[in-house]
Amino acid sequence: MSKQLTRRDFLRVTGGGFAGAALLGAYGCGGGDEQGSQEGGQITLNWWDYWTEGATNEAIKERLARYSENNPNVTIERRNIPFDQLKPTLTRAANAGNFPDIAVIDNPDHASFAQLGVLLDVSNRVDEWDVSSEAYFDGPWRSCQYNGTSYGIPNSSNCLALFYNTDMLQAQGVQPPANWAELRDAAEQLTTQDRFGLAVSAINSEEGTFQWLPFLWQSGADIPNLDGSGGREALQLWVDLVNQGYMSSGILNWRQADVKNEFVNQRAAMMINGPWQIPVINEDHPDLNWDVAVLPEGEESASILGGENMAISAQSQNADAAWDLLTWTQQPDNLVRYLEKVDRLPSRQDLADRPVWAEDPILSVFVEQLLVARPRAYGADYPEISSHIQTAIQAAISGESDVEGALSRAQEEINPLLPERMRQ
Amino acid sequence: MTSQAQQAQSKGLADRLRSVNLSRVGDYLFLAPAMVLILAVMVYPLAYELYLSVHDVTIAGSAGQAPFVGLEQYRAVATDPAFAQALWVTVIYTAGSLFFQFTIGLALALFFNQTFPGHGVMRALMLLGWMIPLVVTGNLFRWMLNGQYGVINLLLNLGPLEAGRAWLTDPTTALIGVIVANIWVGIPFNMVLLLAGLQGISLSLYEAAKIDGANAIQRFLYVTLPQLRPVIAIVLLLGFIYTFKVFDLIFVMTGGGPVNATTVLPIYVYDVLFEFFRFGRGAAASILVLVLPIIISLVYLRLLRREESS
Repeated sequence: MSKQLTRRDFLRVTGGGFAGAALLGAYGCGGGDEQGSQEGGQITLNWWDYWTEGATNEAIKERLARYSENNPNVTIERRNIPFDQLKPTLTRAANAGNFPDIAVIDNPDHASFAQLGVLLDVSNRVDEWDVSSEAYFDGPWRSCQYNGTSYGIPNSSNCLALFYNTDMLQAQGVQPPANWAELRDAAEQLTTQDRFGLAVSAINSEEGTFQWLPFLWQSGADIPNLDGSGGREALQLWVDLVNQGYMSSGILNWRQADVKNEFVNQRAAMMINGPWQIPVINEDHPDLNWDVAVLPEGEESASILGGENMAISAQSQNADAAWDLLTWTQQPDNLVRYLEKVDRLPSRQDLADRPVWAEDPILSVFVEQLLVARPRAYGADYPEISSHIQTAIQAAISGESDVEGALSRAQEEINPLLPERMRQ
Repeated sequence: MTSQAQQAQSKGLADRLRSVNLSRVGDYLFLAPAMVLILAVMVYPLAYELYLSVHDVTIAGSAGQAPFVGLEQYRAVATDPAFAQALWVTVIYTAGSLFFQFTIGLALALFFNQTFPGHGVMRALMLLGWMIPLVVTGNLFRWMLNGQYGVINLLLNLGPLEAGRAWLTDPTTALIGVIVANIWVGIPFNMVLLLAGLQGISLSLYEAAKIDGANAIQRFLYVTLPQLRPVIAIVLLLGFIYTFKVFDLIFVMTGGGPVNATTVLPIYVYDVLFEFFRFGRGAAASILVLVLPIIISLVYLRLLRREESS
């Protein structure tokens, strides 16, 4: 008690520390805005992506290092930004005029950035390229386009499919459901005291919309006629499954990772999820017996496209070098080598018969599903459109509103947000 | 000093520099880091926010080219039913949290103001809730309130209440769920400040009251409460500001759902800004969210001062 730290001492020490930190911070801010530059034949390309951890991060590092080895005059300055920060960061960069030479963009956002005018129109380059656009799956390729013009090329793709616990299905003598009626039956038969038949994510974020849109499309409807009979059936399907107790009402608060946790902990016999869960499940639950099937059909079969594209900045000083890098990544051997490492699906249809996908019992199903996977191409206001769909899903499932009311309210909000050509 | 300043103004720059007392320069140097910091992290962002709020800035237009729209953004926010809903949710959330945090915090403060074996350790343990990061607290409560395997349902089922309730996914109970979590977080804060206040009350006052024949309740009402009043005022004010702007706890627990049942104002602003990328409207909304607690705090402080002076 004799030697006490007085308040004044404390302030002096911490204040000095903060001031120092602030100065360092200010200094740090000044250094980061150098553009890709060309010095004596040496080219620097800025590359931004959102792979911050694990295999995805290592694989992209290896990919870029290999390119630099083959092209010693190109230095690639990579920056990886956490996924949820990528869009805001790219938006700020676009406003500040320092958009990177190459940006990796989540495919539903591609149209927004193209509309912003920050992406390079690559249609001419694509025409001259020795790889035809026919080589790509339709969904991924279209997700790079805005008003019919190409603003980039796909990097990798994913889509949703139905995961099921083979032990549980066998025990109940249930086949993986092929259509909605079978899905209802299977969910009913697989539900027991301690588990639900099916798990999905209906959270109020993009993940919820991502999971429900396939059902909307399967009904034959689309967002412009969301409140029509198709949309009502698609939402009623989910509402019924919850009300009848075959799906937990907890889905309103589950992210897709939570859905996966329900599944691996055997609290759900089936789930809707994407291929990015495969390595996670295999690693953490090697004893679980599971398989995947394509999503059950409604009026038509459909899934949703996820994944990311690569685009070049409209202001890039090194567009030719950037395009060379992009096309290099798409060379079959380079692409397969990369995708294999990250458990992603090829966006190139002509590579889908490679053994890594065709002979893998799980991935081959995803590749098949990819054929009917659709992009979320609803223009620049899609995020807000999506939020109204989330509200409708949540209102109907929680019983706050009936299906019809929830959807017509959403439709009213969504109509002015849709691109002109889609309005009805 | 004023004459000095006037003189300095009339002289040239070089003269002025010479005339400035060296020790004053030192004073300003000490102030400089703080001033730079305040300018950089408070004044500038606020000014920029104000600028954004009167322009139509979206993802499709950079800030420099966005058209000036006057108060249109404020009108759009004020007439947005989602904003009104968020304001209402915020009021319930803040009032509910504050009331229980304060009463339970006060009760615990009175309890720990007594000396009994282990009270120091207990008191320190009580602080844990305040020290745990809100993201952790939010996830803990998210699990505890889970409908299928949450411990809270388990406990409720032990008693006479039959509960299989999915607290956070039911729009009628989700708000209660996040309020409960926030109360748990806020109790230690209230308790510690009130306890400090209690320990500052002179024991002789209680002795005098006892001699005058006051019982325990009377001593609490006529000695403790009046003596504690300045502390209570600060605790409530800080609690109000803190609760009004809470974001992380709710974001982690429900993300504002289900069906906007827990969308408080900060979540609303986050959605407009970072989900819809309507920067102009988001700026207007965040300024409204900033102005509201400032007004309420000022009114509250003024009322207090008037009461004290009368």
